[in-house]
Amino acid sequence: MTTVPRALLAIDAGSATVSVALLGKPWKRWRLLGSLAAPAGAPIAELASTLALRLISTDPRMAGELAVSAEGAADLPRLEAVSTPPATLAVLGASRRAVGLLESVAARTPWRLRTASPESHDPREMTELALRPEVSAILVGAGDPPGPDERGWLDDLAGLVGAATRRRPELRVVLAGPVAARPAWAEGAGRPFDGSQERIIEGPPLGMRSGPDEPLREILEGLLPAAGSRHTAVRALLSLADSLDRTIELIDIGLDGGLRAMASPGVADQGPAAVAVRTAQAALVPRDVDDADVDEVLAWTTGSLDRHRMGDRLMDLRAAPWADVSGEGARLRLAATRAALSRLDAHTQDIAGMPSPDVTVVSGGAFAVAPARAVALAVADTVRRPGTTQLANDHARLLGPIGTIDDPDERRELVADLADDLLAPIGSLVVVAGVPSGRRGANRIGRITLDGDAHGRHDLVSGEVAFIDLAPGDRALATLEFRDAVRVGHRARRISVPVSGGVAGLAVDMRDVPLRLPERRDRRRAALAAWGELAWPGDER
Amino acid sequence: MAPRVEPAARAVPVADAPGIELVARRRLLLSPVDAFFRLHPGDRALVKEGEAVGRGQPILEHFREPRTLVVPGSGGEGGQQLPGDRWTATNGRANREGQVAADGELLFRSGGRWRIASGERAEPLESPVAGVVHEVRPGAGVTLRSTANAIIGRTVLAGPSWGKLQVATGSDGELRAQHVDVGMAGSIIVAGARMDAEALTRARAVGIRGVVVAALGIKEQRDFLASERRGRAAVHGLPPFGILVLDGAARRPIASPLMTLFEAAEGGMVAIVGDPPALVIDDPSVRLPAPPADLVRVRSGPLAGAEGTWAGLAGPRRFPAGVTLEAAFVRFGGRPPVAIPLGDLERFA
Repeated sequence: MTTVPRALLAIDAGSATVSVALLGKPWKRWRLLGSLAAPAGAPIAELASTLALRLISTDPRMAGELAVSAEGAADLPRLEAVSTPPATLAVLGASRRAVGLLESVAARTPWRLRTASPESHDPREMTELALRPEVSAILVGAGDPPGPDERGWLDDLAGLVGAATRRRPELRVVLAGPVAARPAWAEGAGRPFDGSQERIIEGPPLGMRSGPDEPLREILEGLLPAAGSRHTAVRALLSLADSLDRTIELIDIGLDGGLRAMASPGVADQGPAAVAVRTAQAALVPRDVDDADVDEVLAWTTGSLDRHRMGDRLMDLRAAPWADVSGEGARLRLAATRAALSRLDAHTQDIAGMPSPDVTVVSGGAFAVAPARAVALAVADTVRRPGTTQLANDHARLLGPIGTIDDPDERRELVADLADDLLAPIGSLVVVAGVPSGRRGANRIGRITLDGDAHGRHDLVSGEVAFIDLAPGDRALATLEFRDAVRVGHRARRISVPVSGGVAGLAVDMRDVPLRLPERRDRRRAALAAWGELAWPGDER
Repeated sequence: MAPRVEPAARAVPVADAPGIELVARRRLLLSPVDAFFRLHPGDRALVKEGEAVGRGQPILEHFREPRTLVVPGSGGEGGQQLPGDRWTATNGRANREGQVAADGELLFRSGGRWRIASGERAEPLESPVAGVVHEVRPGAGVTLRSTANAIIGRTVLAGPSWGKLQVATGSDGELRAQHVDVGMAGSIIVAGARMDAEALTRARAVGIRGVVVAALGIKEQRDFLASERRGRAAVHGLPPFGILVLDGAARRPIASPLMTLFEAAEGGMVAIVGDPPALVIDDPSVRLPAPPADLVRVRSGPLAGAEGTWAGLAGPRRFPAGVTLEAAFVRFGGRPPVAIPLGDLERFA
């Protein structure tokens, strides 16, 4: 990127949505002048032209200074992040246990998974899976030495996968263990494995896992293109964390997968650092909706849809993610988002175990429609840890396109300029853990006092969520006082935390960590409805 | 009845409907069609690449009861020893489990023994369309290229199949079991907005070869597929039958541009193929009208199924549940334009 252009387009082309933002440098800083999103496939030229017309009608002088015109908008320089649909990975092992271990690693990547072992499939079925045209790669693994449950099937597995490599010369294989060393591999593949074939990659063997298998994950991620917005957004996140000097967590839910990343600013000689997990398991709606997927979404609804009707709605949501976004459809979408967030949290326990970040940014169409308080409640329900965080939304989907800038200094400079425009403030979220449960009904256990741009004192009730008005741009010091010690970051009876406002204000969540919902469906729905009424009035029962 | 030939509808230039490009565009027709027929391991392709195929010609053979055999030694006749090669039993030799099988496909060899995909009751799959074999991948599939036009749907259950196209009810109709007539035998019927499991079962029972519906719920899909599995496992099997679902699961009428295409092709031979999910129209001389460029359809929401004309972008608007969405004005009949969320609209091409 050079300093000559004073206007450019930031484009995020995803599976469900294409988002175009018009950035301009009317004075000394880059600013977000407008953004527009449409269903995937909408012509970018038309979106750019519409944005240009809106700028011209609002501030024709600025449009003239920046040389922005309806006819020429599509020709402006671009930052573009393009996502592709997830590829399919066949995960094969000699036992159900081995496949489970491999699957738990592969589930923390953007691959869509299909699993099989001799305990669940016969050789014909496993071969069929390996030969399917939509399967781009195979992950096959075993322990070194193989476990007792693997030894009986390991030769068969080696022969099967070796044969698949011969029959599909384009197929890539990741070996997580001594599978290719078996004689049956050479018989099936037609040659022994000598490491010379680029498409067959050796990874670490299975073992007793004590933590995430980073080397294997890196290999699997390396097989995928790194151009999608969930890759590039992490680079922009690093720049943002460094620019704001804050720890920032990014949570993205899209049609085909999700992203959770935590970035911390540089300290002394160390540059900013991030840990990120991209997973197809956190798709808003899985490609093939089954009963378990339906039940996950039903668990977050308060309406009266039965399982079949919910399945119909989810199938239609998957096929047309932009359709039926208002009314009941909007609430269904947020329930599906909660289910996806729960799956994302389950696959990112390493990040969940980190301290609460200074800022939590949500991104993706799943969060674009619901009211701010409903988004705050959805995050509090699912991605839960004690502490305080400021919530914001990457409303114009800028992080992905900004991340395509290779030069970290240029990227940081742009992010620093756009930081205020890039993040739409939702508010602050305080989650309290170690809350004493009341014997009967609601129990006042403390109070919160605000001192700053807003003043006030509010009671805190066990098991409730309190929303306190705190406008965008306002800041305050929130002092929480309790009869008994609780945890908000650290354990104490009196805690003071800085908070900042947003459209949702300040949310104080007194429902403890983890969130325990009633087992009985009617009580669960009643609880969700009561909290939902605070965040999104008009919630149906 | 011979297919009707109609003049193309007058198309409104897109430039006269600014902003309409932001509406999701739905493609109606596809040509040529690369129809993919899956080959499971053990299945046998009966055609070769480049071969011309007629409708009804067997293109592959698959086992109704597939299973894996373990055979010792070098395999079958001719000493074939490569994965993917065909295997034929020599002298009715039984495998390790004592089963006698005629032929199959070599999968892999391990411990000196071949695993072979074989099975019972091989039956042919007949091509529902005429075309040329584009690709044969053993263990994967056969791709047949047809130059015919195909009307694209959302998904296909069962199939493939072919028959004479018959429009059995209106776009918003719902064909009940008692109205499924044996006189429709041999046809592929256009059955309106939705069809329940009972009507689908009766349709198959009276010899109808396929159904085209706008929507089919998940319950009906599962009931039908379960019935299909039971029928195929029976001794005599089932004749070909396919369901083409045009939109999705929630009930809505068939879009008028699609009904126009069905009416144009009615009486002629058509086929339902699964990949891509489509209705292939045999007769190339059938004129398939293009939809008006300013026609928009509400595909979801309170006005789902309504069709009108584009009346321009409406900008961000507030809708039920307090959500703010980019919207467009649509004119329905002579009434004033109504703001509809852009995401609820579709146009046709």
